[in-house]
Amino acid sequence: MRPPNAEPMLPGFVRQLFPAVAGLPLGPLLTLSLRSLARRRPSLFERLGESRSACFGIDPVDLAFAFRVVPEGQRSSVRVVSKDEAARSDVQIKGPLLTLLGLLDGTLDGDAMFFSRVISISGRTEAVLALRNTIEDAELRPADLLGLHGILARYVDTGVLGALSVARRLVDKNPSGAREA
Amino acid sequence: MTTTRMELVCPAGTPATLRAAVQAGANAVYCGFRDETNARNFPGLNFSRDELAEGVRFAHDHGSKVLVAINTFARVDDVDIWKKAADAAAESGADAIIAADFAVLGHVAKNHKQIRLHLSVQAAAATPEAIGFYAAQFGVRRVVLPRVLSLQEIAALNRAIDVETEAFVFGGLCVMIEGRCYLSSYATGKSPNLNGVCSPPQMVSYDEEPGGTTARLSGFTIDRYERGQPVGYPTLCKGKFKAGGRTSHLFEDPVSLNAGGMIAGLKAAGVTALKIEGRQRGKGYVSEVVRAFRKAVDAVEKGGEPVDIGRLLAGQSEGARQTAGAYEKKWR
Ligand code: SF4
Repeated sequence: MRPPNAEPMLPGFVRQLFPAVAGLPLGPLLTLSLRSLARRRPSLFERLGESRSACFGIDPVDLAFAFRVVPEGQRSSVRVVSKDEAARSDVQIKGPLLTLLGLLDGTLDGDAMFFSRVISISGRTEAVLALRNTIEDAELRPADLLGLHGILARYVDTGVLGALSVARRLVDKNPSGAREA
Repeated sequence: MTTTRMELVCPAGTPATLRAAVQAGANAVYCGFRDETNARNFPGLNFSRDELAEGVRFAHDHGSKVLVAINTFARVDDVDIWKKAADAAAESGADAIIAADFAVLGHVAKNHKQIRLHLSVQAAAATPEAIGFYAAQFGVRRVVLPRVLSLQEIAALNRAIDVETEAFVFGGLCVMIEGRCYLSSYATGKSPNLNGVCSPPQMVSYDEEPGGTTARLSGFTIDRYERGQPVGYPTLCKGKFKAGGRTSHLFEDPVSLNAGGMIAGLKAAGVTALKIEGRQRGKGYVSEVVRAFRKAVDAVEKGGEPVDIGRLLAGQSEGARQTAGAYEKKWR
């Protein structure tokens, strides 16, 4: 069994693939999806209060790059940045990619992940708390981020969530991945 | 012993948690507005006016009640904020307002006679005289009992009063007289029962240092954790301090309340409602705790075997250590 605070890292071969993903215009795509979410669900961003203008550095430790996110409603922005640049944000959230995705869709509990040190957080604690409470309430599904509705949304949610859960199980069975990092 | 079924009162920090608590079997859910009028004023938590109205509709459709906590003490120059919150709670169709301040109690008693008034634990009313006063002056129908009474004291109290009582059964404990905390006010400049926060997050920092992580509140070191060791939220009274050359949990061990084994005793003592603490907790936690207590309360109501709630909820309490608190006072 994996020790409780070992990080469920992506296996080495998956990590090798990610530099190719970095070539995609990830930042602009994520920016668009966040802004469209803000159009559809403005109350979600209101919940963030003053922390809407904070800059969140999200650092998936098993990837070579990080993100800087400013969740300012329809003026939100996401940029793909270096780890150093992410570390200079108002808030830094670091953890394995699958864990960070699990927090976003509510599969994993943010408090448990933080207090058991699977993810680490530094910077403005009130902004982290506002983000954690907002995500808790949002009950985001992958289709929400992609702006999909109806039957297509249901297929995408089942597919993406299913794939993530398979990936988590695989990673759990491959604890050596945790030490590879 | 009361013949009516005990009510399970559960926390909701967000609309999603309200729905989760209702679906897990809460008879009533308590929540507050996103401002200083409630004692859990954390960023990103709580309800807007519209969200409350929607939450009330959802709860009522599922046969549950909504109790709105407007339970901090009003500021002398801004009492209107508290009065307006009470007006909004009444308009939302909620079932009760939980309050402690005379201004709020008086305002609701005078202007919103249709809504029940519950006396918040913040009022720390623990004698028949104090409770009788609130009942006579403001028509308070239920009092949330401070966490300092033993089962025997609760039974004696219930015999002497004719309002309902609600007792905490699970969650965090506060060693001060229900939030009147000089410790936290001194360190942060904010008072838990005026501003609605104890250990405000904007004053919390987790600093990575050579020996591990240091959790600080307002610059005061509250605890240190070795690398990889689980960390905790820096609540002042549960921190480790040096005194007399020894480092220890000087004020209180980081334990939380679990009176799951006392449900039958609380019923026999005449308690009407059982309250779970934790509006700051996530919906996963709330669902699990509510489900476990639903089972336990139903077992007691049916006169069946008691449910081992400690086993159902192992790992869900702060620091994973639990206590039955004052309910089990043995030293008297
Ligand atoms: S610091 Fe402890 S005693 Fe003070 S209000 Fe917070 S929980 Fe209560």
